[in-house]
Amino acid sequence: MFEEDIKKLKVCDFDELPGPKSKEELDEMKAPFEEYCKKAFDVGNEMVKPEALKGIRWLSTTMYIFTPHSVANLAELGAECIKVEMPRMGDPMRHTSPFNEAYLYPLHDTRPMTGTGLGFTNANVNEYYITMDYHVPEAKRLFYNLVKMSDGLTECYRHGTFDRWKQGYRTLMEINPRFIYVWGGGFGYGPKMFGGSYDILGQAHAGLASVTGAHEDFGGHATKATNWVIDWYSGTQITVCILAALHYRRKTGLGTMIEFSQVQAATRCLGYTAPLYGRFGIVRQRWGNWDTQLCVHGIIMTGKTDFPDAQNPQDKFETRYVMLSAFQDADFQELCNIIKKPDLFSRYKTHKDRVGAPAQIEIYKAIEDWAADKSRSEVVRIFKENGLLAAPVMNDREVYECEHYRQRGTVRWNDDPLFGDILVHSGYSCGLMSKTPRRHRWQWRPVGADNVKIYHELLGVPMSKIQELYDKGIL
Amino acid sequence: MAKEKRDIEINSRADTLPLMGPDVRPWPVTPPPDPEWVMKNVYAKRKAEEFGQFLEDNLRLDYVFDKPEALQGFKMLGMGLWRMGHKFCTGLLAEQGMEFINIEPPTGDPARQLTPFGREEYMLKDAATGTPCGLDFLHELRNAQSITLNIETAEGREIYKKLAMLVDVIVEEYPPGYMDSLGLGYRHLSKLNPNLVYCWIGQRGQWGPMKDELSKYGQWMLSPFGACANAWVSNTGFPPDQCPRGGKGGDPMRSGVWLDDYVAGEQAAVNILAALYYRDQFGGGGQFIETTAAEALMDILDFDITWYGFNASIKARTGAWDPNLNQYEWNPCKDGYMMIGGQTDRLWYRIGMCIERELPLFGRLIHEDPLLKEMAARNALQALIKTYTVTTKWLRDINRIEAETKLMEYEIAAGPVLYIDEVAEFPHFKYRPWVNTIEDEQYGTVMYSESCGAFQHRSPARVKSLGRPLGHDNGEVYKKYLGYGPMKLRELKAKGVI
Amino acid sequence: MTDIIWCKKDVGGKPCDTVNYLDPYCFWNWEGKVACAECGTVYYIHMIQGHMYSGPDEKPGEKPDILPLYADKPNDGYSNYLPGIEGRTRPYHCLPRHIYLGKADMVKFSVRGRPVRGWRPQPPSAGVAGSFGYYWDIEKLSPEVWAEYQEKIAKGEVKDW
Repeated sequence: MFEEDIKKLKVCDFDELPGPKSKEELDEMKAPFEEYCKKAFDVGNEMVKPEALKGIRWLSTTMYIFTPHSVANLAELGAECIKVEMPRMGDPMRHTSPFNEAYLYPLHDTRPMTGTGLGFTNANVNEYYITMDYHVPEAKRLFYNLVKMSDGLTECYRHGTFDRWKQGYRTLMEINPRFIYVWGGGFGYGPKMFGGSYDILGQAHAGLASVTGAHEDFGGHATKATNWVIDWYSGTQITVCILAALHYRRKTGLGTMIEFSQVQAATRCLGYTAPLYGRFGIVRQRWGNWDTQLCVHGIIMTGKTDFPDAQNPQDKFETRYVMLSAFQDADFQELCNIIKKPDLFSRYKTHKDRVGAPAQIEIYKAIEDWAADKSRSEVVRIFKENGLLAAPVMNDREVYECEHYRQRGTVRWNDDPLFGDILVHSGYSCGLMSKTPRRHRWQWRPVGADNVKIYHELLGVPMSKIQELYDKGIL
Repeated sequence: MAKEKRDIEINSRADTLPLMGPDVRPWPVTPPPDPEWVMKNVYAKRKAEEFGQFLEDNLRLDYVFDKPEALQGFKMLGMGLWRMGHKFCTGLLAEQGMEFINIEPPTGDPARQLTPFGREEYMLKDAATGTPCGLDFLHELRNAQSITLNIETAEGREIYKKLAMLVDVIVEEYPPGYMDSLGLGYRHLSKLNPNLVYCWIGQRGQWGPMKDELSKYGQWMLSPFGACANAWVSNTGFPPDQCPRGGKGGDPMRSGVWLDDYVAGEQAAVNILAALYYRDQFGGGGQFIETTAAEALMDILDFDITWYGFNASIKARTGAWDPNLNQYEWNPCKDGYMMIGGQTDRLWYRIGMCIERELPLFGRLIHEDPLLKEMAARNALQALIKTYTVTTKWLRDINRIEAETKLMEYEIAAGPVLYIDEVAEFPHFKYRPWVNTIEDEQYGTVMYSESCGAFQHRSPARVKSLGRPLGHDNGEVYKKYLGYGPMKLRELKAKGVI
Repeated sequence: MTDIIWCKKDVGGKPCDTVNYLDPYCFWNWEGKVACAECGTVYYIHMIQGHMYSGPDEKPGEKPDILPLYADKPNDGYSNYLPGIEGRTRPYHCLPRHIYLGKADMVKFSVRGRPVRGWRPQPPSAGVAGSFGYYWDIEKLSPEVWAEYQEKIAKGEVKDW
């Protein structure tokens, strides 16, 4: 070989060659996909990774679930969030608990018999908790100072209330032009601007309730989606708006005002409902546990529950529902063979044939007849053994005991700094992130628990003054 | 006798279809209130004229296109079939201004074929080719450029890699490990583009003991498998104590929409925006994200799993009532369902005073019954049964609008359960408008649910287009980003690559 | 003609005077026989859209199809029959636990046996203006619970899940 050629070889840049550059990289590329995912997400080591929203400070002058959740998302992603509550009372959501049974104590030292109900769970995690009676003149300067050193605020008061108290967007944009101001409520400007709103009102008003539940011809009623789900779902969309506004601010240095209506958000998820009405005048109705666009793709009832001897009535009576899906031709044919009704397939060979309403009624009835002497787990097992998709409708206990969520860290226990052993199913479950995972630090804190930390350490208010404001009921 | 000649002959449902379109049946049927009316009758009554005017001047939907887009400059690829997760996620980001290229196989996303009860007459036909497209797909794929690409061919994979190097975000929704097995997973693409934010969305997970499955014939796992795996379905619906089981209303109930997909989609959008913020603010590079329907919906199951950890309670379904609040429910009335809400003492008495005017019996609940005096005690099961039985005794004689009017006099948060035709005509919805129409280039006038981020001062979200025909933007996208002209595209098409 | 049955049946010279609540979703469209929770009188009713299409008509000697969930006596100090009293009210099955409290459950340990602050009252521990630190000193604040916890550990009742 000529010397010149050898030189050429030496200048060849190793890094430019395709393929792995080190043993670690080679291992990474060779690892089975699941192993790779596990390593990338590294469940359990979230705290040693950076926070996506480091340096963002957000004020939460919110109540209930909808607007608090927009801030909890930020707090899980690493923003420093300050929840402002009314002195002594706190967020009204602290006073809700299922069937009045589950509370954590203390709410506040001065009210030893009152706790915070589990209704408050998950909506305000990782935040600092202060109290303030805003509209008292003495509180105004403190409020403005918080605004000056924060990136934004979410509020949920009746529209115009903060404006009247001189702490609305029009005032705050003068104090801090980078400020991102969010108002979240039911309706926003317009004819129903001052109408109050709840999750259930959003579901009712926006049309979601009209398409959820069993059809009235079968005896069903408009059904409430459980878990204040429209509150939470709308809150997350506020977070999308906030983060988009943060990106815009990175470019321009300008804050903005977001007016977000949860009643609208419940209409946003209705899919074909609006275009179907708009073009054809067809008013979508409920279709129960089946699917209007796919068949078979629905929930069926089996004859026996999985835990007939259990003590808990949910285990004892309700563990008898199965989600089944076999809408493609081959899957449906297999399903017909399993339930020993091959003639069903010959009559409904194409998906278009079987997705019609009368066909669906006949097909699901045939499946339920077949399942009438079987339990939930038997049905799931038979379908899975035959390679079809089936899953039990799980309850809270089963979710808690599910190995899947434990491995993924989306259900886990937390040693809460003030309240002890609390099971957590939020935050981590919003999504795994390889570099900047979400994290859960604490569930909530007593009313005003961080008054000294924020007023004294951040805003420089002397301790004696804090005591004075507290005694006056301003903090 | 000769048959009378009529202008319109209706002999079947098909004959009614031409009578339904937006040209013959305009929306809204009655005009919304005008701003002057709102100023006089709404804002002025609360002495909020100035503030109301400020909102009207700065937030009205009419001004959306006068303002810049928040996420202008970011680029995103969408790579998914069937489900709503990636469509809602990319839709939210594209509404905020992110440039969005949606990739489908040359056969198209099967979601294009979905239509209620298989009725093709409810699909919209593309003006140029006459190809029908389902309304769910049209409605959810927003502000997208549609291209085709077959990643099962080697050439298709090379093209995909090139596109991946140009974008900031990929939202992917194929079965677990599928893209990875083609050498197109995050671990491969991140080597080509270290700044790539890559988000997988699915039902239960791409790894773990209960990860997403395919049937042995390759059928995908779709919503509501996610909602069934996290106790949400188990908690929704009427209890068998109120309605009989077995399809008669008393079973656990899935949502009428693919709700778990929507929830996963929006959380994926949050995670993506946070990852981009981290990348740009701190130079941290791209990352790998996984969001599932089962878990994102579990995040918002209130306190349910936590409650199990507290005292082994398994939340039971409670129909249209809420076990945490009284009143907070809807009950049947003369023409549908009426929702009434307000749990504090103040609201409890106001609701009672409203109802007792016409049903003195209800007065005994608020004035007399010692078991209903205390707020927390009113949430007991027996208190709900009693309160709502007597409330419904009032509601059954009046219709929704009468009930709403009566309750509004007492400033109660109350509202009827509305169907979509009523939603579309509800004055506030028309005024904003929250259901809106767009004159689509291919599909004509289409009604859609407006973007929720559109009411913003400086950089509002907006809907520029709804779903496009398959491969509509092949020409532009391939020329713009890869330099492929018509001859090359012709060749790729012949080889089945696009 | 109501969707409550206010039973006025004469029982031992006095009217029964009990209100039986026919809860709206169960009875909105319903036909059959309901028994009064107090005196057991059986009434035939046929309800359509929440209205009594016919009834309530007494059906002496016949068996009821269903019982009310709840009944009370407003003119007798609101004495009442809660759901699930045998022979009087029908049970309500769809509940979160086999027991139903309707009041705060005093919980000291989570389902895996570790301390959780679910009982009251808690000893005061706040600083200035209601502020709290980030540490629950259970051993100092609630020594009896701490002792109970040590016993649980010894007995192996404290688990990871």
